Amino acid sequence: MKLENEDALDHYIICRQCHTLHEEIPIREGTKACCSECGGVLYRYDSKLAEHGLALSISGLILFILANIFPLVQIEILGHEQFITIPKTVLSLFESGFYLVGLICAFLVFIFPLMIFLIYSVLFALLKMEKGEKIIKDLLVLLSHIMPWSMSDIFFVSILVALVKLIGYAQIHMGVSFWALIGFVVLDLYVTRNLHVYEMWMLRKRIFFKERENDRD
Amino acid sequence: MIEIDEKKLIRCPVCEAVNIDRGANSSCRRCGCIIYKHQRFTTQKSWAYLITAIIAYIPANLYPMLTTKQFGSGESSTILGGIVMLWEHGSYPIAMVIFFASIVIPVLKFLILIYLLISVKYPLGKDKRVNKHKMYYLTEAIGPWSMIDVFVVAILAALIHLANIQIIAGTAATAFALSVFFTLLAAHAFDERLIEGRV
Ligand SMILES: [Zn+2]
Ligand SMILES: [Zn+2]
Repeated sequence: MKLENEDALDHYIICRQCHTLHEEIPIREGTKACCSECGGVLYRYDSKLAEHGLALSISGLILFILANIFPLVQIEILGHEQFITIPKTVLSLFESGFYLVGLICAFLVFIFPLMIFLIYSVLFALLKMEKGEKIIKDLLVLLSHIMPWSMSDIFFVSILVALVKLIGYAQIHMGVSFWALIGFVVLDLYVTRNLHVYEMWMLRKRIFFKERENDRD
Repeated sequence: MIEIDEKKLIRCPVCEAVNIDRGANSSCRRCGCIIYKHQRFTTQKSWAYLITAIIAYIPANLYPMLTTKQFGSGESSTILGGIVMLWEHGSYPIAMVIFFASIVIPVLKFLILIYLLISVKYPLGKDKRVNKHKMYYLTEAIGPWSMIDVFVVAILAALIHLANIQIIAGTAATAFALSVFFTLLAAHAFDERLIEGRV
């Protein structure tokens, strides 16, 4: 395989599922390129990536805040009413002496999801303004490191499991946060599936290399 | 013009850029992350995390996951005991979910990681037919789901603490959370390039 220089490797992509090497080809707006070996998505093309990403990540942040301040579920058991919020769930672990589990849960369901959406918002805002080449790079690296550790979706399924366990013992009412959390989880899944860091690196290159070439002219 | 051997191309685990494999201490041309800093220790590190995870998994199954205190009398149940109880009560789907999340996924992940770690050192027969990258990708994707039971216990404990009825998390919750945590670390420490046997 012959290349002009090392930077030309940017036109290649290795499938993240099966590690087959592919050459990147231009694709139509709104479509995706899939791996010929395993069918996994390689990349998508969206000319309004920054705008879409910004809108999605800010909605995500709003939903996350809503999901954290209102009661998640409320139960009625033997005439007593109890409700939980996400922070309360984590805090009650600390209160009963489970510091380690509490800490792990705090990071997995609160700190990391919040950080991810904050980083997304800043990233897309910077990409939109076409500023901060260096910060974008650092944020993208940080994002890749914490992405695998965000578990909002798993936490949501856990709530469902816990509620099913309680059917028959208690009366259950869903709180505002429950619906906000559904929204957040759907958004989170959509964003992690569809706005891949790979596309953000490509967008960064398109923006700042174009700029550099303009400077030269 | 430069000539590159296609087999010498690797993917940066952080930013996914295609890089030329330069062996030890090569840093990614795009994000600058050092791709293989602990080159010689990768399997050792991964083994250490994995063994810790397996050791933590033993108390996770022996000690109670949660204790239900009802009018003064306490009743503890382990992970397996909880699954059996759910099954007997007819909550089959939930029993299945917990069974998969707490037993099948962790054990499967241990086995796949052990297989991958052994196969990079000692090539096993018929190896060629298995796409080990896909196997690795699968463990990364399903691994976190084993946290379900820990979260469920946390939610139940937070929700139910009345004077008469209380649900308290058990020792197993800590052990289990640690086990999941170390399995994830073991998988992350596992150098995907090892699969190709290019070290
Ligand atoms: Zn593929
Ligand atoms: Zn990189």
